Amino acid sequence: MDPLSESGMRTPHNGAVVQRRSKTRSYRQSYRSCLGTASRLGVTPALTARRLNASRRAAKPQNLADKVNPEHLALLVKAEWQLSYVTPLYQFRHTQLRSYSRQLAAFIVAEKQQGLAVEVSELHNSYRVSLSVVQGLTESEDDAETVLIQIHSKPMFARQDEPQRSVWSGWLTCVHGSPEYLRSLPKDFTCLPLFGSRGPEYLSRVVKSWFQKTFDCCFGSLEINHTSLQWFAALWTDCHSQSHIQHLRMLWTIPAAPPLQITYTVDPQDAWDLWNSVRKEATAAVTEDAASIDLEEVTGFLQALKSHFYRHFRLDLSAGTLQQVSTALGSAKSSGRIKMSNSRHVIATLTLLTECALLRMPI
Amino acid sequence: MPSSSLATTRLLIKPQTALKSSFLRFMLMFLCNMVKCKHRCPTFLQKAPIHVSSVGLCFFFLPMILVSGAGSSPCVRVLKCLIPASVVPQQAVVRAVVWLNVSKIPISTQVLFIKWVLTVFDLIDAKDQLRAIYGFIFSFITEENLCPYICHLLYLLTRKENVHLYRVRKLLELQSKLGRQPFLMHLLSLYKVFCPELVTLSIPSRIRSGFKNYISPWKSALVAVQKSNGQQVSSSISAAFTIKEKSISRKRKHCHLDLPALSSVLNKEPQSEQTSRRKMVPLVHLSSFAQMLKDMHRIELPAQMGSLLGSSLALQYLDCVQEESALLRLNFWLGCALHEGNLSHFVFQEGFSSSDAFLYKFLNVWDGSLLRPQILGLLSNIPVIPSTRGFFFYSAFRCFSVDFPALCLLLHRSWEPVCDCQLSLCCRNITLSGFKDSVMELVHFVGRLASLGLQLEGCNTLLLSFILDFYETVCDTFLKFGLPLVVMPPPGVFYPALLATDPVSVDRLAYIMHRWVVFLTPGKQRSKKTLHSLFVSRHTFRQFNHYLVFMVNCLWNCRMFHANTDMHVREELLHKSNVPQYWTRFDFIHHPAFTGYAVDFHQKCWPGKKDVDVNSIKSKPWSWYLEYLFNQGFDGLKDFVHSSISRQVTAGDKLQDSQQR
Repeated sequence: MDPLSESGMRTPHNGAVVQRRSKTRSYRQSYRSCLGTASRLGVTPALTARRLNASRRAAKPQNLADKVNPEHLALLVKAEWQLSYVTPLYQFRHTQLRSYSRQLAAFIVAEKQQGLAVEVSELHNSYRVSLSVVQGLTESEDDAETVLIQIHSKPMFARQDEPQRSVWSGWLTCVHGSPEYLRSLPKDFTCLPLFGSRGPEYLSRVVKSWFQKTFDCCFGSLEINHTSLQWFAALWTDCHSQSHIQHLRMLWTIPAAPPLQITYTVDPQDAWDLWNSVRKEATAAVTEDAASIDLEEVTGFLQALKSHFYRHFRLDLSAGTLQQVSTALGSAKSSGRIKMSNSRHVIATLTLLTECALLRMPI
Repeated sequence: MPSSSLATTRLLIKPQTALKSSFLRFMLMFLCNMVKCKHRCPTFLQKAPIHVSSVGLCFFFLPMILVSGAGSSPCVRVLKCLIPASVVPQQAVVRAVVWLNVSKIPISTQVLFIKWVLTVFDLIDAKDQLRAIYGFIFSFITEENLCPYICHLLYLLTRKENVHLYRVRKLLELQSKLGRQPFLMHLLSLYKVFCPELVTLSIPSRIRSGFKNYISPWKSALVAVQKSNGQQVSSSISAAFTIKEKSISRKRKHCHLDLPALSSVLNKEPQSEQTSRRKMVPLVHLSSFAQMLKDMHRIELPAQMGSLLGSSLALQYLDCVQEESALLRLNFWLGCALHEGNLSHFVFQEGFSSSDAFLYKFLNVWDGSLLRPQILGLLSNIPVIPSTRGFFFYSAFRCFSVDFPALCLLLHRSWEPVCDCQLSLCCRNITLSGFKDSVMELVHFVGRLASLGLQLEGCNTLLLSFILDFYETVCDTFLKFGLPLVVMPPPGVFYPALLATDPVSVDRLAYIMHRWVVFLTPGKQRSKKTLHSLFVSRHTFRQFNHYLVFMVNCLWNCRMFHANTDMHVREELLHKSNVPQYWTRFDFIHHPAFTGYAVDFHQKCWPGKKDVDVNSIKSKPWSWYLEYLFNQGFDGLKDFVHSSISRQVTAGDKLQDSQQR
């Protein structure tokens, strides 16, 4: 049993925050207010913040081993996750996780009986679900704590003493989410916009369905767009001095006939040198905090890589699309799959992904 | 009620079936006799369904058709026309099924009969006798042609006690022979629901719902006939309250709005039992407006707000209560559904402020192209509020043909609430002038958009037509709605319209100018509304005068390139063009839009003449020509000429007149 889930779990709705919230409540007007329609249509702060940040702090490697439960951390880094975005959850309580686990387990069984959660090859009898809090991933006050969901089961014809294996895992997280947006939500909502899942598709569907029914939220697939992939390339390359990235590999698809797929692998040291030269040019102009990286530097970096490729192969990669970026620290695919291979850079990756997810919030 | 006529029945009998025709004739006469004697008259229409109103008729009729049929097409046709009025006695069906096995009825007729049973299944009064012969019906399943329909019939009849292992085995055997046919899978899945231990194979959760719909044309004919006789069409799906029932639904692809089922809250706070003294009534349990009013303060919102969209009662409640969290949840759901493309059509109900609020929020993040027609259509339904300036910049510049009608509608509807009740304005803290300003802004913006659009699209006729439509609506504002709005079309719209090559645009422009002339000329207004409260700026008047003068000069006075106009073309260029008499080139005869009519008229006037000289129209036949032109449907031109140009006075005087205004 996870003791953490029983402690007085802090969801960001405690008294200290309430005061601040009431001041900024004007952002989301109560429709009953008689202040007039103009205020009713007040521009929400999410509007102006609804762009991917043009600059961000360079990823500081953080040793999470002492902050985060090592088991959870191991789970996070070993697998590739399929990403989705989630709208804020209504009346989600971190204190009720045990009850939620029971409900979810019952729901899975019910769905199976109805014939909706059936997979022909697998024959599982009983499910045990555990929802737990992963403390230590978030640092800011506004972020809700990460929730980890695991489904264990035993195959039907297993022996009695055989332990249950984990057949599906997923997590809901919010790492350094936009404070304005988070504070503008009413009290009852918990914003955990990023959802990662690993396992059979039918179980993902069932879990999503349960969340939708219980917390009135909506799931949508989160694709990692071109800009974000560029950010990943830059951020990971930037970490080379601290953790050896071993290679910078990019996958491009060119819309030729037949379509061409190009895997462009750059030697880590070369990538590091190129990155430094791009940064030197950029920072020469503006003397600012060297720890922050600008979008221009990132695009400059990618542009340099593309022009190098052009010089050798006479093929302009701008004509194609970047599908995948991978280094030893992780891999990101445009279809929305992420792998975080190094625990020290999990936070930076999740920060970027949280931002992408918040951008997809419908309103 | 029209009485039956034996004459029509003759149509049903074909000469070649002489042997059986006597029997058939007997049957039909029997029918008519029954009708005449004591039962309500069916309506015998030529080749139309025989309306069997009597219970007894069905009882006799059905097996006899099958027996006597044996391949005769009249029998088939009679069967096809057999539409029961109220109920079908199950005894008739049972007897017919019995006969199905006994006589040598061709397969096609058997198929037809089973299809008929499926069509009228809802009207069979009781099903217990049919269930009693379940096994007998099941035995037909081996017949390949009958199999799908028998499966469907069994699906409708099956109860738990009918599920036996040998039947399951039979179905599986068939499956191995015929493959994983959907009708077999459906029946098996139903068996599995009743007795999961007997059916061990896994049914994929994605099988398409429902059997193949082959009876729908028949069913619709049935419904039509019943409706025409004022019968209540009973259907197995009752629509008492417009909430979507939670059926054993299969997962649907993104084809249409997939509303979540309305259900109670699952996620209850554990301490809420103590705090709430009153018992909350879940919205699910409400079935009428009166009930909602009674329990207004105790209503509990459902677990998923998206489910409310299917029910107008629920939306009304939401609109009334205006709870922020609930509305936010609904907005999230709507936004998500929009982004994921799951809304193929909006189900917004007009007049709900929650949908207005959602739309305003959504507009802020709208990219201008997603579901543009629907969004713009919705916009035309909501009142225009000042400070929605931001919206103007989001609409894309490309697809005008959709934008303009919607913008026109937007203008149209934007002042309706104003006129209807002035009180609402006070509540909303909008002043009339503030409102008028925003509408003016809208019109100016549309003008800019229009000018640009015409430039981009090369003065496309269709686009011009929409734009002129918009300006016609602007003309109407004062007369119809009381909003004093005087805005001229910008030069970027006026000149392309006047010099357009199609006559309709010129006609519409003339109509618009005519309306303005009438509106702005004191004494010419026919309506009681006066201009006392109206302040029209000098600039507007000047612009109007310029337009009027230019138009008259162009079309009538043959003084197109007059010095005082907006069009400044240097004389040298005009000479260079080598166009003879360039100043007349856009009058009623030479204008590219009307030159066809001029030639036509010329030929009508002087049919023999070989070479056409349209200038000759200018003299005596001028008024006839004008009449001819106006009779082609150009009422706008007619009105314009009559209101702005008076022929008794010379053209020069009129010019002075218009300038003095």
